[in-house]
Order: sequence, then structure tokens, then C-alpha cells
Amino acid sequence: MGGLEKKKYERGSATNYITRNKARKKLQLSLADFRRLCILKGIYPHEPKHKKKVNKGSTAARTFYLLKDIKFLLHEPIVNKFRDYKVFVRKLRKAYGKSEWNTVERLKDNKPSYKLDHIIKERYPTFIDALRDLDDALSMCFLFATFPRTGKCHVQTIQLCRRLTVEFLNYIIASRSLRKVFLSIKGIYYQAEVLGQPITWIAPYAFAHDHPTDVDYRVMATFTEFYTTLLGFVNFRLYQSLNLHYPPKIEGQAEAEWKLEEGQTYAMDSESYMEKLSALSASLARVVAPNPEDEVQVDEFPVDGETAEQEVARKKEQEAVEKQKKLFEGLRFFLNREVPREPIAFIIRCFGGSVSWDKSVCIGATYDVRDPTITHQIVDRPSLEKQVIGRYYLQPQWVFDSVNAKMCLPVADYFPGVLLPPHLSPFVSEKDGDYIPPEKLKLLALQRGENPAEESGDEEEEDSGGDDDDEGSEKEDDGKLKKLEEQRSQGKKLPVKVSAGTVRLEDKQRAAQEEQSEEKRLAIMMMKKREKYLYQKIMFGKKRKVREATRLAEKRKAHDAATKSEKKTKKVRRE
Amino acid sequence: MAAPTGAPGGAAASGFLGLRAESRDPGAPGRRRARGGRSRKKSWKRWAGPEARLGRELGAFLEDVGLQQRAAGGLVAEKPDESLFFLDTGSEEKDQKLNRGKEKPLRIDLILQPDSKVPAPKDILAHQVPNGKTQKRKQRLWEKLAERDVVPREQRLLQARLQKAQLATAEASHGQQGAHGQGAGAELAGGFYDIWSDTNPLDRPLAGQDAWFLEQTKKRRVRRPARLETKPSELPAVEVIPAGGSYNPMFESHQALLLQAHEVEVRRQKAEEKLQRQLRFPTAAEAPTQETTFQEQCEGLLEESADEGGEEEAPDEPPAPGATPPPAPLHEKKTEQQRRREKEAKFLEARRLGEKAARCRRQELFQLRSIRLQVKRREAELLRRRRARLAKRRAEATKPRRLGRLKYEDPDLEVQLSTELAESLRTLKPEGSILRDRFKSLQKRNLIEPRERAKFKRKYRLKYVEKRAFREVTL
Repeated sequence: MGGLEKKKYERGSATNYITRNKARKKLQLSLADFRRLCILKGIYPHEPKHKKKVNKGSTAARTFYLLKDIKFLLHEPIVNKFRDYKVFVRKLRKAYGKSEWNTVERLKDNKPSYKLDHIIKERYPTFIDALRDLDDALSMCFLFATFPRTGKCHVQTIQLCRRLTVEFLNYIIASRSLRKVFLSIKGIYYQAEVLGQPITWIAPYAFAHDHPTDVDYRVMATFTEFYTTLLGFVNFRLYQSLNLHYPPKIEGQAEAEWKLEEGQTYAMDSESYMEKLSALSASLARVVAPNPEDEVQVDEFPVDGETAEQEVARKKEQEAVEKQKKLFEGLRFFLNREVPREPIAFIIRCFGGSVSWDKSVCIGATYDVRDPTITHQIVDRPSLEKQVIGRYYLQPQWVFDSVNAKMCLPVADYFPGVLLPPHLSPFVSEKDGDYIPPEKLKLLALQRGENPAEESGDEEEEDSGGDDDDEGSEKEDDGKLKKLEEQRSQGKKLPVKVSAGTVRLEDKQRAAQEEQSEEKRLAIMMMKKREKYLYQKIMFGKKRKVREATRLAEKRKAHDAATKSEKKTKKVRRE
Repeated sequence: MAAPTGAPGGAAASGFLGLRAESRDPGAPGRRRARGGRSRKKSWKRWAGPEARLGRELGAFLEDVGLQQRAAGGLVAEKPDESLFFLDTGSEEKDQKLNRGKEKPLRIDLILQPDSKVPAPKDILAHQVPNGKTQKRKQRLWEKLAERDVVPREQRLLQARLQKAQLATAEASHGQQGAHGQGAGAELAGGFYDIWSDTNPLDRPLAGQDAWFLEQTKKRRVRRPARLETKPSELPAVEVIPAGGSYNPMFESHQALLLQAHEVEVRRQKAEEKLQRQLRFPTAAEAPTQETTFQEQCEGLLEESADEGGEEEAPDEPPAPGATPPPAPLHEKKTEQQRRREKEAKFLEARRLGEKAARCRRQELFQLRSIRLQVKRREAELLRRRRARLAKRRAEATKPRRLGRLKYEDPDLEVQLSTELAESLRTLKPEGSILRDRFKSLQKRNLIEPRERAKFKRKYRLKYVEKRAFREVTL
């Protein structure tokens, strides 16, 4: 054959990928800078399909990037800034070494810095794109905001994160978009719905840090740097969408007023303002005062391809959401000092309640413990010496559970010192056929508006309750009919004697059922072998699920019985 | 061109009259200056300079004198007026009559006269300023920019200098007070803008400009490839802990989580046990005895000697001296007849095969049903494969990939034992670290490659020296 000899690794996948080191050299950056650049630009390593081909015959595990991605990086103006910074550091070190303080000063004044605005715009061309990627940003900012200022990362970063998270929380409060809360052993999970996008984030408990050693702080700081920029832009836009002032302003009080009120002793002006904001107790000022008449009912258009049922369901859901938003409206809470203030205050304010705390706990308390209008006091200690009549004393879990249940739960289970019902995860949703724990069943019953007091404990009864009613009514009907018949027959005494025939009870439902099952059986018989196999597999899976559910239910029953008996024995012993 | 205007003055001064338009008085001062410097070779060659000009003018003068002598028989200036002029005594009417035929335009000129109704195109260049369009556009652009308070660079630089000076004076007058008081407030208030609006400052310099221009002058950034929009993993950014991880969990879900953690632990323990088993010191029964150690020591030796014996035997047999090389396969030449027969046989065979294939093809018509079955089977098989492929791809979409030397390892499950569970929120002891959780999540979603901390390696050994003062302390 003619032509040139084809050389290996000069075409195909070998030319589509580039190793990390080569990419680094191509960009003339150090590894740390390269890593930073990749994180900022959203360029991630790739695993090639045929490693041996890409790696020129070697099978060593390497980090590969797509060559096209690296070529894209070459156009980035920030690369130059990184190089400038490298030079700056070199010059600075030299000046320090020579003790030329004037030069040091001059260099520090002209420190090269870069902005990430254009990268944000490039990576998130629309606002919705940015919202979709907000989970990461929020989690990271909430995490960094709680870091101690010990030099693990820049103090400015921590402060910035704190400011941004507080701004975001204030927006959530103003828009009332919180949906779910989950207290886990790791931290608190929140879910909000912002402009139709579900946004989930995790916030750590206060003071819960041991700095792990196996985490690369530099990488995390780079991610945070990017995410703080993103969150700043998102916050601004969100505030605009609600007509709120963007550097947020507290409603009502003029600046001079709270300055006077607090006096100069508390903190610097800027700091105390931030603290006030982060107290989350006051609402924000709007650019244009909201006018209730302005809120015109929006015309509703049916979505294409939506059946009437779906529409009804959607409307129902919307109503539920609207109702949930006003969950704590009109209620006045007071938080005791042992209660985690920030999350609870945030949640209560998110659902329209007003909240206060002791003045010495935090700035921004709006009323005192002795205020007679307080309806709920959140307490987390076994017993209280002095209790005021006219308010409920509740454990903090009541707030979280009520939010998840979308209704104010009965308070009896949450009195101080009472053993709490379990805190269920709102992020778990059971499909039909799954095992539903009795606690959840109880909750569902509550939501449906049934009285839990009657059916406390016995869920099986409750389940079959509906069916029983139907059957009972049918029986009654039958009885009535018989009576009528008898009356008639008694009224007209005919000479003809008719021997009583055995009534052939034709159960229509049952007949229909039988017919259905017969059809099904026939259909199964007609199935092809492969389909039949698949069908049997599915059915087996379903049965297994049911079996497991019943097994779990029995286990639970046994457990309950055991605990009950234990309690009884304890009681007996005590007596 | 300029000569006629300048001529009267010159002629009056020296009394010389030029016959031709370009003829000049040599005594008149030169109006044109020598072009360019005289240090260049070009200027030497061109016969330029004052002498050259003088020579040229002299030449022209002499030529003119010659011409006047030839035409008028002497210098025109010296002739009497009568020889030069005469009195016109004729009447105009007569002349017109005489010249009637001469004044009539020639027919050929009439023919050549344009008779088109469409006017001739205008000479556009006469009305146009060269490069006027660009200049006009530029001017318009500056006007527009001026409306938005954008001024040319020179002006901007000047303004910046002015402002700088002003600022410096202002700061000097304020002292440290102003800087201290504003602090974070100024930082808060300044420079917020909506990046997703149509009029964000990022796009403003490029707004309203020609796309082609922007592209060619590299003013516009390179567009982000669509490939980068997809995330490397389909896992959610925040994975919510299972229900058993609640601070006050339900019995069943807590048990389920415990079971999961237990399984992980059992697996780990098994691996460890396996390692221990393999590295264990052998028991007394398995321990090597003297015999086995001896055997092990002469493991290779015995066999080797046996091999050597064999080899010794082999060289005894010397190669046979007169052995002929193996006979090469015989290839006798085929006869003509053989060739012909082979050819015929080949031809026949080909025809037979062709006929058979045609027959089979014809027969396939009657096998339609079975063929259809085959096709169906094949299609079903393909469908099955496609489904399997899709399922595999879906399963792999959420898996962490191998992105470097190290493999991704799942972090430990956060779980609290039944005895560790908190009674209330106040007594809750958080488990695990969110920082590690976030970091591992980034690794799991293929955003960063798993790494281990760089190990610190000391280049030189430490040297311990006891200070003398310390050494002298005796207890």
C-alpha cells in the first residue's frame, strides 16, 4: 500500500486529551494557579474512555483535561492577572529582602487584583442558571460564615460570607419562601423555593468546628471566592425582584434612631448595623411601599397538556403553599437563652410570626419576657420554676415539626420535659406500597384534619375505617329494602303462594372484580415468554416490598410492646 | 499654473514679455523653493537646487528669445506698436454674414452630441470627501459616547489627573477621620449592578457595535462552549442525609442507618483481617523445620545439576559430518494441458457457485416468514442492547470517576449510636464535619480530583545541640 506510514498517538483520542502537567505548562501557570483557574472557570478533569490510547500506551492513572477546554482557558484574561501576581510576589519578596520599605509600600499599593464578574456572566448566562447552582454556593457560604477567625482563611472572606448569608436569609424571610427544615446530626438542612426553583442548603450548628486535616483549604477557599461573587449578584437581583433596598435597610427606624438607641458602646456603626440585620428580627425597607390593592389576581392560563385532574391538584398544592406561608402569622414567640436563636428566629420569621429574645442574648430583641401578648415560649430545659399563664411553653422541635407538617401541631407532645415524638425527615417521600411508619401515618391523618385523639396509636383501624363506613351504609340500605318489601307483601295478601326462593346475592363489585382478574389472567397467559418473565419479576419485586413493609410493621409492633411492658414494669416498681 | 498670475509684475520690472505661458523672466525671483534637503542622493540626481533652477530659467529665456526672433523677426518688446497691432475697421454685421458658414457647427459634432434622455452620471468624487463615511461615523460615535459621559482617552487621562490631585488635597484636609468613619458603609453602598440586566457595565463597551468588528478585533470574549454547560455528574449538590440521621430519629430509620454503617464497618474489618492473616507469623505446625529449610535452600540447585547432566550428554553427539540439507519442496513446471484444465475447472466452479446463489435467492421468496422472524429477533436483540446500554450509562452518571492517581473513597457515614442520641436539641452533639462533607461532595461530583496532602520531607537531618548553659545544670 502506498502513502505515509500512520504514526501512533497522532490522531483520535490521544489528541483530544491533555495531561494536567502539560496543560499547566501550556498556560504557564503554577499548579496552584492552574487549579484555581480551573475552579473559577468551571473546567473539570475528564476520564477518557480508552485510557491506554490517551496515555500513549501507558496505563498509569493520570489527570486528563480536554484539550479544547484548555484552549478555551488560554483566552481568559485572568490568566494574565495570575502571572502579574506571581511577578508582584517576586518583587515584594525581593524588596523585603533588601529592606526597601518604600518599595514595599509602593508595591503593596499597586497589588494586582482581579474580578470574577465576567466569569459569572459567562458561566451563568441567565439568572435562572445561577439559581439552579445556588445550592453549593449557599452551603459553602454558610459554612465559611461560621468559621472561627483563626487564620485558616482570610477574615475578610469570613465577614463577606456572613454578610451574604444574612442578606440571603433576610430575602427568604421577606419572600416567605422557606419550605422544609431538617435537623440532622450533621447540621440543619433547609429547602426554599425561590422563583420556582427548589434550593437546598445545609447550615452547620454554631460552634461545631474541629478543623479536619484531610481537606484542602486552598481549594475550598477558591470555591468560596467564586461562590461569594455569585451570591452577591444573586442577592442583588433577588432584592430587586422584591423592590427591597439593596444594601438592606431595616424598616421603620432611621439610622440616627438606632444609633442613639444602642449608643456608641456596642460596636462600630457598620458592625452594629450588620449585627442588627443578622438578628433577623426586623423586616426590610422597600424601595416602593407595598400596596395591598396593587396585588392583582394574575390571570391563570391552563398549561398545555394538562388534564383537569392535574390542574386541580396543582391548585390544591398552591393553596397549601399559601396557607403554609401564613403558618405562624399572629403568633408571638419568645426564645429562651438556651435555644439556638438564629435558626429558630429565621424559621419563625419566615412564616410570619414575630419573635424576640432576652436582651442580653443578642441585639435586636423587640419585646420582653414579661410581655403579656406572647403566645409561645420556646424552652429547652427539663423544667421551669416560674411559668406565666396564657402562653404555651414548648420545646424547639415543635417549630421545626410544624413547618414540615405545614400546620401548627398539637402542643401537648412538645411540652418541656415530655419525651418528644421523633423528628421526621421532610426530604423522604414514600411511594405507595412502601412501609409508612406509624408516626408518619399519624401526621398524615392530622393533615387530613382527622382527630388524632380517637385513633391514637391504632393505625390499622384508621386505615380500614373508611371502608367500614361504606359497607355499613350498604347493609343499612339492604335492611331498609327488606323492611319495605315486607310491608308491601304484608299489605297485599295474595292468594298465590310463592315458595321463597333462595336469594341469589349478586355482588356486583365482586363480579366486576372477578371479571377483571380473569382478564388479567388471560392477558398474562397471552404474554410472550420474555414479557412474562419481566412481568413476574416486577410482581415479585412488589410483593417483596409489601412483605418487607409488613415485616417492619411487625417489628415495630413488637418493639412498641416491649417498651410498653418495660414502662409498666417500671411503674409497678415505682409504686 | 501659477505663472500667468505672477507674470505681469515680473514683466513690468524687467521689461521682458514671454511669448509662451510658461516662459519666465530670468531676473524675477524664484517662487518655488527647493523641495527637500540636499543631503539626499535623490536631490542631486534630479538636477535641483538654485544653480539648476537658474540654468533652467536661463535656458527657457534663451529659448523664448529664439522663438520670438523666428516668429516676429526680432524681440517683441523692441518692435514698434504699428508692426504689432492694426486698427479694426470692419462691421460686425458684415462679418456675421461672411462667417455664416464657418460659425455653423459641423455635422459630425452634432452627431457626436449625446442625445440620451438619461442625464450623465455625476462625478461623485467631486462632491465626496475621501474616507468621509468612517470619519462621520467616528464623529457620531464620539457624540453618542459624550452623551454617556465617555470621553476620548486623552481627555480621560487629563480628567483622571485632575481628580487625583483633587482627591489628594481632600484627603489631606480630612485627615484620618473620614477614612475611619465610612469604612464598611462605603464598601456596602458602592458599585452594585445587575449582571443579568440588558444594561450591565460588562457589556456596555460592546453594546451597539458591529459583531464582525468585535470578533475580528478580539474585543469580544470567546464564547463558552456548550459542552461545559453539562455538569460532570448528575448527583445533587447537597445530598440530604437519610432519615436516620435526624437528631431525634424514628426507631426504624435509625436502625436502617445503623445497619448501613455496620455493613461498612464489617467490610472494612474483613479487609483488615485478610491482611493480618496474610502477614501473620506462622503457627508451630506451619513453622519451617530444619528439613524444610534445607530443602528450600537447595531448591534450585538439584534441578540445575540434573539439567547440566542432560546438557553434558547432548554435546557428546557431534553433528553428522556429511548431512545433506533437507530437500527443498519440488516444484515441477505445469504442462500447458494442466494449466488449461485448472482454468476450466475454476471457471466451472465459479459458475456453479453463481448459479447456486441465484437459486438460493429465488428460494428466499418462499422463506419470507422465517426471514421476518429473524429480522424481528435481531431487532429485539438490538433493542435489548440499547436498553442495557442506557441503563448502564444512567448508573454510571452518578458514579465518581477515576480522575487521578487516587480513587475516590466514600467518607465515613455519620451516625450516632442509640446511646449517643441527644435527649433534646440543647444536648445535641453534632457528628462529622460539614467542611469535609462539602469537600467529599465536590470530589464525588467529579469537580476536583481526589488528592492526598503533600508529605513534608525534611531535606537535611535535624541536629540536636545541647546548650552549654543547659548542660551545666546538674541535679
